[in-house]
Amino acid sequence: MAVSIDTVYQRVLAILNKEQRGYVTPQEFNLFANQSQLDIFEQYFYDINQFGRLSGNDTEFSDMLNILNEKINIFEANAAMVWNTTTLHWTPPANLYRIGSIVYENTITTKSLYPTPNTVVTTKVPVEAERINYNEYLAIAQSGMTKPTNSRPVFVANTSGYKVYGASEVTLTDVKCNYIKKPTEAAWGYQMIYGEALYDSTASTNFELHASEETELVIKILEFAGLAIEDIQMYQVAAGIESQTNQQEKS
Amino acid sequence: MGLINKTQEEYYLGPDGLWNSHDEDYGGYQFVPINDIINTFMVAYVGEDKNISKVKRTDVQFHAMRAIQEFSFDMLPQDKSIEIEVPPGLFFILPQDYVNFTKVSWTDNQGIERPIYRTNITSNPKAFLQDGAFEYMYDNDGNVLKADQSETLKRWNSDASNSVANNNNAFNLNNPDLLSLYAYGRRYGIDPELAQANGTFYIDNANGVVRFSSDLNGRIVTLKYISDGLGSDEDMVVHKFAVDAIYKYILHAVLSTRANTQEYLVARYKRELSAARRNAKIRLSQLKSELIVQVMRNQSKWIKH
Repeated sequence: MAVSIDTVYQRVLAILNKEQRGYVTPQEFNLFANQSQLDIFEQYFYDINQFGRLSGNDTEFSDMLNILNEKINIFEANAAMVWNTTTLHWTPPANLYRIGSIVYENTITTKSLYPTPNTVVTTKVPVEAERINYNEYLAIAQSGMTKPTNSRPVFVANTSGYKVYGASEVTLTDVKCNYIKKPTEAAWGYQMIYGEALYDSTASTNFELHASEETELVIKILEFAGLAIEDIQMYQVAAGIESQTNQQEKS
Repeated sequence: MGLINKTQEEYYLGPDGLWNSHDEDYGGYQFVPINDIINTFMVAYVGEDKNISKVKRTDVQFHAMRAIQEFSFDMLPQDKSIEIEVPPGLFFILPQDYVNFTKVSWTDNQGIERPIYRTNITSNPKAFLQDGAFEYMYDNDGNVLKADQSETLKRWNSDASNSVANNNNAFNLNNPDLLSLYAYGRRYGIDPELAQANGTFYIDNANGVVRFSSDLNGRIVTLKYISDGLGSDEDMVVHKFAVDAIYKYILHAVLSTRANTQEYLVARYKRELSAARRNAKIRLSQLKSELIVQVMRNQSKWIKH
């Protein structure tokens, strides 16, 4: 699924060198590559918001929301959250980019006839905690009609992490999260052989973006490269292509 | 996929494997828990391309609970009742989840429930303490001192009907039969409100008790009452006949309390709520054709005036 960083680099170099416009060093390329990756990645969230307001279509491969979700699912992850005994907050995973749902595993104990009468059965039912602001929590916790329960928990976020409230505050265990992780930093690794940088796949990291983003990546890197080598024409052409693509995709 | 998730053996025997041992959930299939209603509502009515694109689950929870409250008062089946023997103090502490009563009765030797009627002719007011000059007395904080029991209650609780039988004093009566006979009926004709021999009660809300007339002392009394359906988790269930009305209630409540909602949407769900509520009420009113036929057979009776 990933996009080969070497393919992208070779294309960028090929387009730039076509008319002897200039050369982008591997170090510069790596900087531009990650900037472009983050740029494209961040745009997904705003595009989902935009297309979420439209009615969409029922085609198998061309509904924009499905396309965007497919691209973003690559970065979706589940992990257990860690209870920080110092700050008394839940700490999210280190590679968190955006939090999605916080899930509380509600323990339910029932009795069953099987395998023998009165067998105690404990099950953990995952329930989503709802995000609320702290001032809202202060209000809803005071009312019997709205206060959180173990089957309808809430969470509050702040700089120290997250607080999860069921019938009482949830601590120590049983909290997980569904989140979007940061894209891994892409790197075109190389070794200097006879003064020339040769691609080293073992020292490289490919783009994590969906394979369909290859063209977009090349164009975005070209834009940055155009600015770097002070070739305004290069920048304008790349920006024009990008603008044209966006218009076509989103109109 | 069916909704039943227990085997028939589990249903009839319960977890302990014993028949009818009160750990079974007999008849539970007719009800839907509030959690299921909230979760299903969030899935089916909230999201992209729907009239409610986003709503807080806490809001839905609040409206669902309000719906159960409202429906409990006049629509959902209420089977709550408590039976006690009336103590010499002539009171009955209101149940924990009491909201209002539907019927109070005493049980005769044949097990027939005889209705007891609410009376307006007495109450239990706060009794301020007065000194010899009839001025109010105060405590150290400057509050008026009050008696533990009002004089009205003391007199009502005194065994007046017996004492009437002894001294024939028409002003010490709280047995309605005797009251109407001696005090009211004698002077102005019978008062239908008091023309019954089953005793009377009133609700003393300040003290959270039902108070009875003295003739009910020692009788077995049953209080049938309504709650708001939210007292405990077991209570927070909705009959399947009313589930659609609950969804419509939440839909209308969410849309009507949200800013910038098109008024036609609010009006549409108001109508839908009204229709769903009416349907639920009809279904839950237990109108059975055979029962109606049986009742209508009465029409051939001659009624004498």
